[in-house]
Amino acid sequence: MTAMRKSFVHQPPSVEADATAAARMGLADLSLRPRTGFKGPGTMAWLAGQGLVVGEAANIAYPQSSGLLVAKLAPTEALILGGIDGNEATIDTLDRTWSIDTAAGCYALPRRDTHVWLRVTGSAAPVMFSKICAVDLRAAKFANHTIAQTSVARLNAIVVRDDLGATPAFHLLADSASADYLWRCLIDAMAEFDGAPIDENALHRLL
Amino acid sequence: MTCPLNGPRNISEFVYGGEVVTMPDPARSTDAEWADYVFLEENPAGVVREWWCHAPTSFWFIAERDTVRDEILRTYPAGEVFKDRIDFP
Amino acid sequence: MTMRLANGAGSLIDREKPVAFTFEGQTIEGLEGDTVASALLANDIWTLSRSFKYHRPRGPLTMAGHDANTLVQLPDEPNVLADRLPIASGLTVKGQNYAGSLARDRRSLIGTVGGFLPVGFYYRSFYKPRGAWKVWEPIVRDFAGLGRVNVDSRHGYYDKQYLFADLAVVGGGPAGLSATLEASRAGLEVILIDEMPAIGGALNFARFVNGHADGLADAVGSDPNIQVLSGATCTGWFADNWLAVVRGNRFYKLRAKQVAVATGAIEQPMVFRNNDLPGVVVGSAAQRLIRLYGVKPGTRAVVVAANADGYGVALDLHDAGVDVAALVDLRHDASPCHFSDQVRDAGIRVVAGHAVSEAHGRDRVTGVTVAAIVGEGDCAPSGERIDCDLLCVSVGYAPAAGLICHTGIKLGYDGDTHMFTAGGTLRDGLMASGSVTGAHALEAALAQGRRAGWAAAKALGANPGAEPAVPNDLGNRGVNHPWPIFPHPKGRDFIDFDEDLTVRDIKNAIADGYSEIELVKRFSTVGMGPSQGRHSALNTARLTAKATGRDVAKVGTTTVRPPLLPEKFAALAGRAFTPERLTPMHYRHKDLGATMMVAGSWWRPAFYGDPASREETIREEALAVRNGVGLIDVSTLGGLEVRGPDAAEFLNRVYTFAYTKQPVGRSRYVLMTDRTGAIVDDGVACRLHDNHFYVTATTGGVDAVYRQMLWWNAQWRLDVDVANVTAAYAGINIAGPYARAVLAPLCDLDLGAEAFPYMGVRTGTVAGVPARLLRVGFVGELGYEIHVPSSCGEVVWDALMAAGAEHGIRPFGVEAQRLLRLEKGHIIVGQDSDGLTHPYEAGMAWAIGRKKPFFVGGRSIEIQMKRGLARKLVGFTLVDPNAPIPEECHLVVRGKEIPGRVTSCSYSPTLEKVIGLAYVAPDQAEIGSEFDIKVDGGRLVKAVVVPLPFYDPDNQRQAM
Repeated sequence: MTAMRKSFVHQPPSVEADATAAARMGLADLSLRPRTGFKGPGTMAWLAGQGLVVGEAANIAYPQSSGLLVAKLAPTEALILGGIDGNEATIDTLDRTWSIDTAAGCYALPRRDTHVWLRVTGSAAPVMFSKICAVDLRAAKFANHTIAQTSVARLNAIVVRDDLGATPAFHLLADSASADYLWRCLIDAMAEFDGAPIDENALHRLL
Repeated sequence: MTCPLNGPRNISEFVYGGEVVTMPDPARSTDAEWADYVFLEENPAGVVREWWCHAPTSFWFIAERDTVRDEILRTYPAGEVFKDRIDFP
Repeated sequence: MTMRLANGAGSLIDREKPVAFTFEGQTIEGLEGDTVASALLANDIWTLSRSFKYHRPRGPLTMAGHDANTLVQLPDEPNVLADRLPIASGLTVKGQNYAGSLARDRRSLIGTVGGFLPVGFYYRSFYKPRGAWKVWEPIVRDFAGLGRVNVDSRHGYYDKQYLFADLAVVGGGPAGLSATLEASRAGLEVILIDEMPAIGGALNFARFVNGHADGLADAVGSDPNIQVLSGATCTGWFADNWLAVVRGNRFYKLRAKQVAVATGAIEQPMVFRNNDLPGVVVGSAAQRLIRLYGVKPGTRAVVVAANADGYGVALDLHDAGVDVAALVDLRHDASPCHFSDQVRDAGIRVVAGHAVSEAHGRDRVTGVTVAAIVGEGDCAPSGERIDCDLLCVSVGYAPAAGLICHTGIKLGYDGDTHMFTAGGTLRDGLMASGSVTGAHALEAALAQGRRAGWAAAKALGANPGAEPAVPNDLGNRGVNHPWPIFPHPKGRDFIDFDEDLTVRDIKNAIADGYSEIELVKRFSTVGMGPSQGRHSALNTARLTAKATGRDVAKVGTTTVRPPLLPEKFAALAGRAFTPERLTPMHYRHKDLGATMMVAGSWWRPAFYGDPASREETIREEALAVRNGVGLIDVSTLGGLEVRGPDAAEFLNRVYTFAYTKQPVGRSRYVLMTDRTGAIVDDGVACRLHDNHFYVTATTGGVDAVYRQMLWWNAQWRLDVDVANVTAAYAGINIAGPYARAVLAPLCDLDLGAEAFPYMGVRTGTVAGVPARLLRVGFVGELGYEIHVPSSCGEVVWDALMAAGAEHGIRPFGVEAQRLLRLEKGHIIVGQDSDGLTHPYEAGMAWAIGRKKPFFVGGRSIEIQMKRGLARKLVGFTLVDPNAPIPEECHLVVRGKEIPGRVTSCSYSPTLEKVIGLAYVAPDQAEIGSEFDIKVDGGRLVKAVVVPLPFYDPDNQRQAM
């Protein structure tokens, strides 16, 4: 058996235990889930042409009726996350439709490979973040669907608040090569809140 | 410091990029003028325009800073100063 | 003997919960809530440690965690404040800085028999003859000092946390509590930081003249808008109201929109002979002992007072059953205070116009001499001896204004109140209230606190209602005595307990010409100890003022810098976040037994095998590439997508070469120079489309390259987009004569030399994975650099390893790659170049596009070349093959000149000789020229310049 990223292998003790952890302090690895990104001056126009509805303000995430979440990182840049139910096909379609010849001023970014995608959930999540991140992510100060592009455990990171039902929850994306390091930092920071790795099913149960 | 794109952040999220200076025409400037551009900064006691980069987003912008009071007066996107395409004929 | 009071006194202790610990090997019984100091005093043990210089016995002075007299030693930690450290079952505590035993320190003789060491003694005594300090230093350091560091102690778990608040209130006394409540009522989110285990400050222990604040602490404690950090120390104020707060093993970084400083005042000692004896305390220390810990501070006490608080202390002692032998009032004609009648009614003898001129006793005060004051700081030569085991002094306060001073504000001195002053709104978002401003009257402190809370709310746009009124009388008069300094002809009249400095030491420093307060400090070390002048700055300023004929206000105080209290390195380090990057094939390398090395933030295989067989392994790996086929993980190479109509024009500007006419499907070397013309990075640019280049950059350089590219285009505004996709691609370089044979079955491309020539770029699939393939020749053999999505890196690596098995494929690490590229004469930026190297010096004139109008660094290179070359990078071998092998940075020497240095050097197993790169003088750069390299030990080794590359000079192998 070869060594692998053991930290990412999660066998939930039980479905209930996972759901409890998710509500309190959970960490899920969504890195295998679909995501993509585009940037360049023509990005917003091109995305609109693909039927995505994105507002004016940057550093806001715009949920789509399809279940996608379009995180507008800058006036000229968007990160697109598959929803909780997948959207593999929708994101594939975006990636396949894009071409440097037809998407004027819009350039695809390989977000699946540049960024690890983690989901940080639970009532303790904002306080846990305050141990590794300087931006105030508490509910009253960081509205749902707000984005912070900042430093998390000294890594450049994208933090998107996207609650699961009434449970505070964040998407956390950072350099994929630093994934093991980031995972270790999070598990360490979560420990005092009885945080635990959770699997995707636990996320569903919060809805 | 307040990043025009990302809002107020710890100064540790930013990288300094030197004073905002205009590059002299490389084809016409004298050696001395060029050396001045490359090596010398004005460093005034007063308001200075500086390049700063928000590292997590690699976003470059310009800050006006009072070097006497070490106070940042204003930050804004580089496009306010650099409006037009620059070409070298 | 237990000194624990029988009644219900002691708000911090739990009488139901005894806790045992050891001090100096002796088992001590305390109560939960006790500090080490209070538990020891409850057992009538007063000597906690020995002093820094003279090894004099020292005991608690303030019971507030503000003085250095209570520093004790724990097994894993020196210099712990015994009046802060809570006791715990099994705790092992020892005294500090003694030889033999704490009770009988052999070195204390230095303070009794030998003469006192005058200030400047070290400077004058140990520096001659030359080298003497080396002999004396260890002895002096052994004698002088604090606790001992246990280098075997294990690193504890320390971490950090950010906190955010509308208002941070520092200090949980009456002013801080009322500021907190007022702001919270106006809707602000407030964090209250307090040093003690329970908020309340002086409300918990002092005897107030008048006024009440009942229920204030409870109201704060039950308010959900208020977060109370008890037992926490704010150690520093930094720009934009960023506060450093230490509590236990956590370091808080608090960002507050507004800060209210309500840090109170520090009761000051009086200066007289033997004023450092255990049993001599400030009055508030006795009150803390009684009310916080239920400890009777002594059996027979003398109180020195210069204010009403001293009368309150006498009453508190009396109420606690201490026999108050006398209340010595420094004032001749003090008007009666609120407590005067009670003191008289208690039958306490008041001696006005007198001072304690001397304390008696060896390890504990056994009596004092009370003498009439005959002039400022001058006692009558003889006086009355009064036996006592406790001396309390209440002669005034200094504001605990450290945080205020961190903001750059200098304290003033009020000649009427004899106080250092700082008050009101100090700067935007920073207010002070309470006794730190001189408001010693409770009502005034409460009102100031309310106003500070109100002002914070107002500043943040809340509607806090009408401005709270503050009484005109702050109660700051008659609190500080102007001159509580009574130098004794026989000395030992300590100004600074931390450093064992006496009045004479300060006077001598000034007499030596160090008359400015900052110089007095530096020469005498006053205020440099752990208590940072909290008990010495005021009296030092007074002495300096008098000796130099100036006002205290003119003399001022020394600059106060963070931290206010010592911060442990562990607290500053926290979790020590150091990002580590792993390539997609990291665990494959581990499985293959690679010895890993750090490359920037990455882990990379140095070679595959045990460190013990390092040289042999590297050699085998290199030979495998030359003679068979090898595989190296190059995922750490930077990857940049440069896209848009101006992509080629952009590269033309940021790199030295020419790219506008580069065909699609070809790669071209890129060399980046900075504005000064110095080489900063290199790589290749692959043109995948007219408007699309995939550019590689060095492992360590890509982030800076990316940032610089964006910076330039923020000015040029070309129609181009740059994206850093380094982590998106796993890079695998397969190289060696069999590379094509291994790759072909896995790849959908025609790999023939004509279809896919050297420096060609293709996109296709490898093992079914979409891939970018580059024919590049860093190691100088037929090779393909395969870039695939990082998530597929392991798949492709495994496929190549499997396909290569029949050809004896061998993974090779960074070390073999460095050797192979050296054989080809390729430079590594940053190793074979430095911050000044321009392309001509590095022999890379070929990489400069001369026909283009501009590239970054071009003009600067041109100007430098007008002056001619200063040095040149050349390839060399050794004249004597058996000479020692030079190493990187060994110098090239010519007579007394150093024209250059070796940048790379190694034994080449392929060429069977030593090869290297070195900077030499231009006139030494001709092929065949000889030059000398000074190797370790000073020996000169003769080298000869040879043509580059060393290996395969016609570059036929990489183009196969």
